[in-house]
Amino acid sequence: MPTLTDAIDASASALAAERTRIEAAVSNLANAESTRGPDGPYRRREVVLAADPTNQFDAALGRAGAVGVRVAGIVEDDSPLKQRFQPSHPDANEAGFVALPNVNPSEEVVDMLSAARAYQANLAAIGLVRDLIRQSLELSR
Amino acid sequence: MSIVPVDGSITPVVDIATPSSKENGVGFGDSLTRLIGAVDTSGQEANSAVARMLDGSGDVHDAMIALQRAELTFQMTMQVRNKLVQAYQEIMRMPV
Repeated sequence: MPTLTDAIDASASALAAERTRIEAAVSNLANAESTRGPDGPYRRREVVLAADPTNQFDAALGRAGAVGVRVAGIVEDDSPLKQRFQPSHPDANEAGFVALPNVNPSEEVVDMLSAARAYQANLAAIGLVRDLIRQSLELSR
Repeated sequence: MSIVPVDGSITPVVDIATPSSKENGVGFGDSLTRLIGAVDTSGQEANSAVARMLDGSGDVHDAMIALQRAELTFQMTMQVRNKLVQAYQEIMRMPV
């Protein structure tokens, strides 16, 4: 049976997903100038989210109320790297250009803020469900 | 092939007609014990979630949700206990 705690579980899964989004944005910001990695310069990372029913049994019966979210994967952005003319850099090619990560810091800050707002919204949802349960307990007074 | 008629030979799974005795029924004390067990379990879960948060392997929100769950389970048990004591006292005040 779907219960109110399923709603809390769904919001909790969203909190974990938004935390992953913030982590991805933060690592993109941190590595905005990283020219070395396992395979060339750092590439911008993006989080792919997927719906994930908290109660698999109810989902199989097609009556799941609360549907959570899970991180389906973290993919690398294949867009072209930035090229900067800097012949003094040790990673510069013969023409004097350095390949820099395809990270746009202002985009990352916007992503980070949107993930933080989504995190706050899910916190508010958890608080609301908790207050509903608490008020239901008041019924017996 | 003969069809066996349905008669009283099939024993019902739960005999609804006779009131449940202490042996097969679940008393109020049993449900209270189960509730206290649930409080204990959720308290232990909250403890381990907080410990995980403190040693860095768990999330803050998981610990806080476990704490809230433990608190709500405890409040639920307290309400049931209050009702039980209230009913007991009302019966004790009954003149015979």
